[in-house]
Amino acid sequence: MRASITTMTMALCCTMMFASGCAKKELVREDTPPTEVAVVTPTPVPPPAPIPPAPVPPETPKEAHVVKETPPVIEEIATLTEDETASKLFQTIYFEFDSYTLSEPARDSLAKNAVAIKKNKGLKIQIQGNCDERGSDAYNLALGEKRAKAAYDYLLSLGAPSTQILVLSYGKERPVDPGHNDAAWAKNRRDDFVVLK
Amino acid sequence: MIRFMVGVALLLTMVASAPAQESYLEVTASGSSQSSLAVATPLRLEGKENPEVAREVAEVLAFDMTLSGLFQVAAKDPERGGIRPGEFSYAPWKVGGAKLLVKSGYSITGDRLTLELRLYDLLLEKQVTAKRLAGSIKDVRRLAHAFSDEILRTLTGQSGPFTGKIAFVSKRTGNKEIYLMDYDGHNPQQLTKNRSINLNPDFFPNGREIVYTTYKNRNPDLYRRELYTGAEAKVSTQRGLNVTASVAPGGEKIALAMSKEGHSQIYIINPQGKQLARLTNSSALEVSPAWSPDGKQIAFVSDRLGKPQIFVVNSDGSELRRLTTSGAYNVEPRWSPRGKVIAYCRQMGGGFQIFLINTDGSGNVQITSEGSNEHPRWSPDGRFITFSSKRGGKESVYVMRADGSGQTKVSQNGGSDTHPVWSPR
Repeated sequence: MRASITTMTMALCCTMMFASGCAKKELVREDTPPTEVAVVTPTPVPPPAPIPPAPVPPETPKEAHVVKETPPVIEEIATLTEDETASKLFQTIYFEFDSYTLSEPARDSLAKNAVAIKKNKGLKIQIQGNCDERGSDAYNLALGEKRAKAAYDYLLSLGAPSTQILVLSYGKERPVDPGHNDAAWAKNRRDDFVVLK
Repeated sequence: MIRFMVGVALLLTMVASAPAQESYLEVTASGSSQSSLAVATPLRLEGKENPEVAREVAEVLAFDMTLSGLFQVAAKDPERGGIRPGEFSYAPWKVGGAKLLVKSGYSITGDRLTLELRLYDLLLEKQVTAKRLAGSIKDVRRLAHAFSDEILRTLTGQSGPFTGKIAFVSKRTGNKEIYLMDYDGHNPQQLTKNRSINLNPDFFPNGREIVYTTYKNRNPDLYRRELYTGAEAKVSTQRGLNVTASVAPGGEKIALAMSKEGHSQIYIINPQGKQLARLTNSSALEVSPAWSPDGKQIAFVSDRLGKPQIFVVNSDGSELRRLTTSGAYNVEPRWSPRGKVIAYCRQMGGGFQIFLINTDGSGNVQITSEGSNEHPRWSPDGRFITFSSKRGGKESVYVMRADGSGQTKVSQNGGSDTHPVWSPR
């Protein structure tokens, strides 16, 4: 009955609750804006006056004097809605360093994944591309996307329906192994196949 | 508490008496030709005694002036006179070799603080500039930073960046969220609290809004956010990547990497998300656009030759050229606000190091070597670079002078702090 977990309800859990009424409110705090009051000019032979010759310029606040009070913004909370049981139907695939080429074992796994997708028409699969920690985070976002896209294209070539598959890159943001060695890196260069609830 | 910012009036009015005064110091000097600058202990002028205020003022001035690289800072009081011309004697200060002197005093009424700060030239025995700055007591550091900005403006002709903020990404809650702090690491505030992954903050030129990428809706989408209200709007939510956004100098355009057409390419959109141009059209992976200060060129990363390298293209898409020609893996270009130099990162020995290169490809030079160093971003005056560094333990935000000297850790919680961006003036 796993297949019946038909969930097109993507991400609706993230109820956006902007306190929009408050969000625009700008309160002027009368007590705080630090204003520069005086510019004191050098006086070569100064009288020991208690107050410096401080011509007080008119306070002409240019712009930044309006202080905005924090409104009670309620943030969207990201919720991960993965059907972990259904995700076990699918095999993770792995990549070589800095590569998005599908290896022989990866193709074998994808063939099995294609069968599972076709058998479970109700499932929505997200292919999540991941990288090891060595490259730059920005470039790895693009590389992870390419890894997920490589699997996506291969699944489609095996007849899996595009309507059931989404692609996402996490770059190097979600390693499964936090280690800093070859074994950890090999596990982290991967595509996960996640069934969305 | 956190998210309001006192709009400090940085109306750094010209000092009436300093017309056509020749610059005392070269703006670009750093570390080499230092003058000795003494910071006198801040005195109570009126109202309650507050040793904490005095301590913070002295600390801020010493930190800023030391980072500037222009001064050796001495903080020892050889005399206990007042702070105004004629209230103290110059001679005791000159004994230690100091050439400049900062005298300051504070007055407290309720929670109101007034700082009076005066910079003296000890050789000429005259006051160079003076300011009276008022705010709430909790603004004490910001007020003192404002005088540091003024000292550099007076002595070099160009204001300092010390009142600026740094936005950055921190994992201190366990998730990557966007934070904001003073440039010296004080007053950190968490901005986003969506518990997903948040990346790549960049400021709009007004300094009060950022763009950033968030996974909160299960796709790396680009949002803009007002810093002090927390109000947000979606900018770009194309399927796939909407990442490494860079706001153009005028604020009316944003360059970013998107993969909506299959793989990551560079696009230009407006702040409402409307596409203005597709800048690159290759089969390669391309990320990390960075505007030149005049908005006419964009540096970016492309692996069209196999490994990631830095390229430069006119912002109308013409005259594409390769910038980095040495090193196997070069990323994260950032154009100096002074225009002629680009900072970037090179993969070396299992980590990254920060390099500078002239925009004509000459003068390639490595400026970091300790640990692994990434995400260089310039201060708005081009004097300094903030970056993230991993030197044992977790990554932290650092600042340094643009020649790599004076590397100083500023983020304080050690929660894997990365992607710092120095706010515009």
